[in-house]
Amino acid sequence: MAVGHGHLPEPVAALIRARAAVPNPHLDVESYDPEGDLLVLNLGPQHPSTHGVLRVKLYLDGEVCIKAVPYLGYLHRGVEKLCEKLTYVQITPIVDKNDYVAAFSNELAINMGFETLLGVEPPPRAQHIRALGAEMQRVASHLLWIGTFGLDMGGALGGGATLFMHTFRERESILDCFEVLTGSRFHYNTLQVGGCRHDIPAGWETLVRQTFATISARIEEYESFVRTNAIFLARTRGVGVVDAELALSLGVSGPVLRASGVDYDLRRDRPYGLYRELKVNVATASAGDCQARFEVRLAEMRESIRLVNLLLDGVPEGPINVLKAVKLPGTVKPKPGIGYAAIESPRGELGTWVVADGSDKPYRCKIRGPSLHALSLLPYLAPGQNLSDIIVTLGSLDPIMGEVDR
Amino acid sequence: MMGLLAAFAALWVSAKNLFRPMTTTPLPWKGRRDLPERYRTSFALVHDEHGDEACIGCKMCEKICPSQIITVVPGGRANSEKTGKPRGWCKDFTLDLNACIHCELCIQVCPADAIVMLREQDTPGFSREDLFLSMEKLYANEKKAPSWGTGARLIGMQEPPKPPKPEAPQAEAPKAPAEGATS
Amino acid sequence: MILGNPWVHGGVVGFVVVNFLMVTFAWSVWFERKFAGRMQNRPGPTEVGPFGLLQPIADLLKLLQKQDIVPDGADRALFNLAPPIGAILILASAAALPFGPGLVAADLDVGVLFALSITSLMVIPVWMAGWASNNKYALLGAMRAAAQAVSFEVPLLLSAMVPIVLAGSFSIADIVAAQSGYAWFALWPPGPGLVAFVLFFLTSLAEANRIPFDIPEAESELVAGVTTEYTGMKFGLFYLAEYVHTLVASLLATVLFLGGWEGPFVDGPHWMIAKALGLYAFIFWVRWTLLRYRADQFMALCWKVLVPTSLATLVAAALWKHLS
Repeated sequence: MAVGHGHLPEPVAALIRARAAVPNPHLDVESYDPEGDLLVLNLGPQHPSTHGVLRVKLYLDGEVCIKAVPYLGYLHRGVEKLCEKLTYVQITPIVDKNDYVAAFSNELAINMGFETLLGVEPPPRAQHIRALGAEMQRVASHLLWIGTFGLDMGGALGGGATLFMHTFRERESILDCFEVLTGSRFHYNTLQVGGCRHDIPAGWETLVRQTFATISARIEEYESFVRTNAIFLARTRGVGVVDAELALSLGVSGPVLRASGVDYDLRRDRPYGLYRELKVNVATASAGDCQARFEVRLAEMRESIRLVNLLLDGVPEGPINVLKAVKLPGTVKPKPGIGYAAIESPRGELGTWVVADGSDKPYRCKIRGPSLHALSLLPYLAPGQNLSDIIVTLGSLDPIMGEVDR
Repeated sequence: MMGLLAAFAALWVSAKNLFRPMTTTPLPWKGRRDLPERYRTSFALVHDEHGDEACIGCKMCEKICPSQIITVVPGGRANSEKTGKPRGWCKDFTLDLNACIHCELCIQVCPADAIVMLREQDTPGFSREDLFLSMEKLYANEKKAPSWGTGARLIGMQEPPKPPKPEAPQAEAPKAPAEGATS
Repeated sequence: MILGNPWVHGGVVGFVVVNFLMVTFAWSVWFERKFAGRMQNRPGPTEVGPFGLLQPIADLLKLLQKQDIVPDGADRALFNLAPPIGAILILASAAALPFGPGLVAADLDVGVLFALSITSLMVIPVWMAGWASNNKYALLGAMRAAAQAVSFEVPLLLSAMVPIVLAGSFSIADIVAAQSGYAWFALWPPGPGLVAFVLFFLTSLAEANRIPFDIPEAESELVAGVTTEYTGMKFGLFYLAEYVHTLVASLLATVLFLGGWEGPFVDGPHWMIAKALGLYAFIFWVRWTLLRYRADQFMALCWKVLVPTSLATLVAAALWKHLS
């Protein structure tokens, strides 16, 4: 399912790009600008549009960026080290905080990693709950992204804020569904090694159906708000064009990669869990600019809503956990070995690489977050761009700093 | 020109939203939203059906807590005045809500269903001490609305009742207080 | 013509007008917050007074209590002077605005030019503030303001020329008089007047730093643009200047294109104010709906679309005037 447009109009960005002498991410500023004439602007870590605590050191010639250097680590919490200190059953609530707008995906990735070590497979009902939660979380996460993308372009005191409030209104209703399921809105701790902790309560399916019916009706509104809007098109079309080869070489995945024309989605190409039986339509676009990323995310939301409705139809009865419920910290003890499991989180390939040494704690746990790889595009995209475009480009990459810094 | 028309489409959407019902609920002191059954915020320690303090001081919650915020001082074994049967007791129990991540694991592992979470919106504190739950505060919280989840219910949800075989969880429970008493 | 003496008359009317502008500014902030709130499905201010009506007073008290910070390395004199200059300029621009027959602080022969030139001077305090703040964001914002001022002033003045040409006078009173009998320039003559009205409206939005053209203080990239380093009442004065500027632009558009104080039943200042507030509310509506243009795109829009269109409109208006 290809969305967006195949050909690019004469991009304004190319004109600006021509002004920047060397669009090179590894530019040696000292030799480029021995006089020190460039304006060095520290964008962040406290800035309204850096999506958290990202700091980008921009070398600006007027308002055109010559070089951009992102500085990470302002949100480093040592999650991977924590994983070595905690037992397998205690890790789930900790990794919730990685990609804090899509906590369900984190839980799914880490627990699937542990399950590959144990060699267990959750029962069908648990698989359904997991797939449902993941798709709901995808919609919630993309809704948040659309809102913040509006903020990046329309400002906190303007149309962007209205769009933000509207998408948040819908996102809140999804969080309400999660709240009914798990009792918590953001950090659910609802998955465990071998299955789920919370079963679907009575009446939940109706609630989810109603919520998603509303959302699918209102997606049209967001579209009319931005998609047909000349200002939105002017700000996004041809801006921040990601080359497919560059994206692949940097390990970018998810909507950013698909917007560059690479048809790659783990749900279809390396299916896990219920996706082995589920046919997922993967949205791609060829332009690779901010508008294409918007289109891809919008199409993904539609697809996720379809999947949610589909999954709700066929939730089987049965147990939700293949292992015994956790009653002690050290009940899960995989044999020594290495396991990797990856899921398609709202931002791309979210992987967990675990080394077990036979104890109840992982010897090493590496979390492969897609945000870091998406963010690594910024030094390539920013040179030659206007300051305003850098903000839009950064927003369109959708980095979540909790996942970048971990 | 097309841009102008498109701008009117956007204006129409925002005007339509003027007449939608409000989605935000007023501030906490003006009214509360409906909280779902499994809602979880703060903590309470409860009494059992005989009127004894339900906590048996087994330190399970202390061990499972990922943030290590629970401290249990076991009080050894003694006969209950109400039932006359021997059981474990808890001498002191503190929970530092400042660092709590509300993961519900302590509720799940509690063999005596002694600790529950509250189905009430948190009342914020004015100092860190307000969020440091001592044993008295935890037992005072018992009067507030508890969340649905208790140890038995959460375990029951995850392990549907099976015929005789999985007696293991039940077998573990009595052992734990003894362990706690000796340590 | 209240007391015959132009000084007394000007003083009294000016006092009333300035107070009207200030009071409207204060409660338009309340209205905007309510309006934006409803648009975003939230209640807006509710706590201070009934329906939050006392919110402007609370805002004012809050601004007065804020610590007054002058950043290190700032040009103190310029930094402190910029906000009052902005507020004074924008209040002064209302001097030539008539609210009714004779209800004008200074009945100038070139009233339109006076108001437009004074509002155009607003770029000076903005530049002062940006330069004096010793802040890179403020400097970038000020540079954007100066750069875009050049591009939108041309279509603004050219579109304002259309009613001047049609009325054959620079005096606002004459322009309003020329529109009597509901021959409002926005409606009659059918073509150029309406286009000129739209152009004037758009460029006024740009001049008052309103979305979609609030490029100098684009808060998503420039934090708060020129006002980044300002606190307390100094920020409040900038805020006031921005809102009063929008209001003055609405009033100007009303007298130039919408027949001024003419209306059903009784002509008078109430119609003038009602029309201007209608436009003002529309600006809020636009502000809370649209996204922001990029600086270079806006300038391209100005030079490539707005300037030719306004020139053509002016020529059309002149032809109409010549033929009729």
